[in-house]
Amino acid sequence: MPVQKIRVRFRMNGQEHEQEIPSNITLLELIRDELGLTGTKEGCEIGECGACTVLLDGKPVYACLILAPKVDGREVITIEGIGEEGKLHPLQEAFLTHGAVQCGFCTPGMLLSAKALLDKNSHPSREEIEEAISGNLCRCTGYLQIVNAIEAIRSGEKE
Amino acid sequence: MTMVVKGKVGESIPRVDALDKVLGKARFAADLKMEGLLYMKVLRSDRPHARIKDIRTEKAEQMPGVVRIFTHKDIPGKNRTGIINKDHPVLADEKVRFIGDAIALAVAHTEKQAEQAIGEIRVEYEDLPPIFDPQEALRSATLIHEKGNLLYERDITKGDVEQGFAESDIVIQRTYLTSMVEHTYLEPDAGVAWIDDEGRITVCASTQNPHYDHHEIVTSLALDPSQVRSIQATTGGGFGSKLDVTVQCFLALAVYYLRRPVRLVYTREEAYLATAKRHPLIMKYRTGVHRDGRLMAMDIDILGDTGAYGSYGIAVAGRAAVHATGPYRVPNVLVRSRMAYTNHPFCGAMRGFGVPQVAFAHESQMDILAEELGMDPFEIRLLNAFDRGSETATGQILKESVGMRECLRRVRKQRDEMQKVSAIPGKLVGMGIGAMWYGIGNTGVKNPSSACAELDHEGRFTLYTGAADIGQGSSTVLSQIAASEMGIGIEDIRLIRGDTALTPDAGATSASRQTYISGNAVREATGNLRKSVLAEASRFLEIPPQELTMEDGLVKSMKDGEILTTLEEVTARSYSEGKQLRAEGFFDPPTTNLNPETGQGIPYATYAFACHVADVQVDPNTGEVDVLRVVAAHDVGKAVNPSNVVGQIASGVAMGTGFALMEEFVPGQTRSMRQYLIPTVKDVPVVIPIIVEDPEPTGPFGAKGVGEPALIPTAPAILNALAQALGERIYHLPASLERVLKACRREGSS
Repeated sequence: MPVQKIRVRFRMNGQEHEQEIPSNITLLELIRDELGLTGTKEGCEIGECGACTVLLDGKPVYACLILAPKVDGREVITIEGIGEEGKLHPLQEAFLTHGAVQCGFCTPGMLLSAKALLDKNSHPSREEIEEAISGNLCRCTGYLQIVNAIEAIRSGEKE
Repeated sequence: MTMVVKGKVGESIPRVDALDKVLGKARFAADLKMEGLLYMKVLRSDRPHARIKDIRTEKAEQMPGVVRIFTHKDIPGKNRTGIINKDHPVLADEKVRFIGDAIALAVAHTEKQAEQAIGEIRVEYEDLPPIFDPQEALRSATLIHEKGNLLYERDITKGDVEQGFAESDIVIQRTYLTSMVEHTYLEPDAGVAWIDDEGRITVCASTQNPHYDHHEIVTSLALDPSQVRSIQATTGGGFGSKLDVTVQCFLALAVYYLRRPVRLVYTREEAYLATAKRHPLIMKYRTGVHRDGRLMAMDIDILGDTGAYGSYGIAVAGRAAVHATGPYRVPNVLVRSRMAYTNHPFCGAMRGFGVPQVAFAHESQMDILAEELGMDPFEIRLLNAFDRGSETATGQILKESVGMRECLRRVRKQRDEMQKVSAIPGKLVGMGIGAMWYGIGNTGVKNPSSACAELDHEGRFTLYTGAADIGQGSSTVLSQIAASEMGIGIEDIRLIRGDTALTPDAGATSASRQTYISGNAVREATGNLRKSVLAEASRFLEIPPQELTMEDGLVKSMKDGEILTTLEEVTARSYSEGKQLRAEGFFDPPTTNLNPETGQGIPYATYAFACHVADVQVDPNTGEVDVLRVVAAHDVGKAVNPSNVVGQIASGVAMGTGFALMEEFVPGQTRSMRQYLIPTVKDVPVVIPIIVEDPEPTGPFGAKGVGEPALIPTAPAILNALAQALGERIYHLPASLERVLKACRREGSS
């Protein structure tokens, strides 16, 4: 049985998109396979690890659990949309200088969860930081330097 | 005025590969795109132990989009792999030995088509009796492998253990159990293979050892080594599991026949089903102590379940045996350490190679002894701890860099200065210590690394290393070692890593060996290159080389620091005369083989030491354990990048917390991340890291290693803290809610 196609319009990393997509794919497949943006990672496909976290209308979501047609009329931000070389997002800068990156597989999702927090709360407590990234698993860092990096932004620490 | 260059040994510079990772630009294997890419899926056994009578692929071959189905019959070379013993078929031939054994491969135009084809392959089995218990395996007449069910035994004998017990005032005997643990690196195993520009079968995969992968591909395809190339993709964690070949031989086999690019990405479920686990061990400890607190004798019996294949089982049995006494002087020791095959998933390397398991046992024994003697747990450890001149159970005299006591003292001081944890009503609190030692590099065998350093005609420095950076930071650490040795900045170093066509073999990223062993190889290569540069400079400056030095990318006078020339100038002159500036480095740690009967010898050139202290809070009604904080001191010799060392320590504490309280892989039941919980940010304690630097004279700038040591003392510290809080000891890891509740009830009824 051929898969139904559906036309969706959405904003992705600041750009308008309008395209036909298969109706049964996930947002993660749309991002990685249809749009070729591989910064968003697939770690479990069941919403446990958080590696595929992206922002949907500013809120962090697991892209593996969202059906792609749901993005119609909405805004998606992925790791490719938060900063670029020479013009890093302060969180990216803080992750670099605080040693918050090891294997890097959780990093994009972690950064987006952190960004969602800081966008609505510029001075989160350490507990609020932990709450915000509690859905993002990291097996390498033990989280210490990730939390320190996010906290450094909160306190306006300059490196 | 000269610029001071950045990135020398001892500086906490950002990692050299982190920028691409924060930008989302780093390409992991699943992110690689190629023209005309085909997709692979693997058919895996659903039987634990069965003879294969027939594999029927006709129907699968006719499925839409299918390009080809492969079975063991297609393998042109040797159908056996394994890093130590070759017992693991690429694709099952005569038998399957665990649920998850690979049987056939389907290659199709889409992943879904390959998946559907797999579903149409029919395997006819004749079931054999499965064995799931290592003790039963050693008694059973059913053989999992033809040579028998005992994979390996390592014995260590020192002194006279019965005499030692006779001279002891207190002797305690306990049995400790640990569970199977799944590495749960965030990136599921993945790889892409193709034919490269030079016609080589090229496999780019998530791996900890591209040179080993190369060897297995060459052997399974019966090719000349020059016809195969293995590249380490950006790798999303490994922790030991990615030391075995996973996707590499499958992909190479397909490309051998199809000459087209093929990709295989494991789902999380497949990564759980098909890859190595941590060995569960049964550890029987009998320990004798003099009334003054001195350890007199240890009699230790270790039996491990290595599952269906050997993988690193021999290394785990050997390392567990060598480290079984803990970091303590014991005059009389008897260790028997065995590994048995079963029909469980195979167990292999996992961060610590058996030492996290034995540390749980020896550290529990130390606390029980302290209690029996009425001694402080710090005191009994300080009294017995290794120091310079101590002799280990294998008869090795520890000469240098023995920071065990310093770690104990520093942790104790730190903790004394911190506020005591006071119990809130209804909760119990406890404090516990864990100490450990860890031999850097492989156990009593050669395990060299080589490296190459080059200055091209433009004066650009390139470091070539086979060392796989899987997230632990070797690329950064090796670059810092080269920068320091060469007197140039980190930004002036180009690193080529993990490509068998370009880089020399650095051995595995395992056994916490890359900083020490590859660090030495890099230092030697860079040092040799530096000498060549100074010799060239000396020639045209007409100044003796011993009067020249290299600093901040400049050749200077040793006497007054006057700038004499630049690296660019020297290389330009050198190349204009047809002279290449390229140098090699090599290091193999000085070790000896262990005596096959007595286990005596020098298994490692150097050891790391560490001590953790944990504070826990327990809810006796729910069994919930909250690890409040861990003070963690590590003697690393020299911290090449202190921020990286802190990262490793925090990492190890988190994984150790999971090992202590949460993680238990149950074959047949644990299928996905839904059934297997690893620590989230909310499960990890506050970590107070302490870096101890007792320099190792044979290490690069004094460095040893920290990757695995970081994990090892955490679970023992937590379990000792739990014993204090509950008044009851738990002998079986993990100390899950159920086991904690059971211990609470035992305490309540006594």
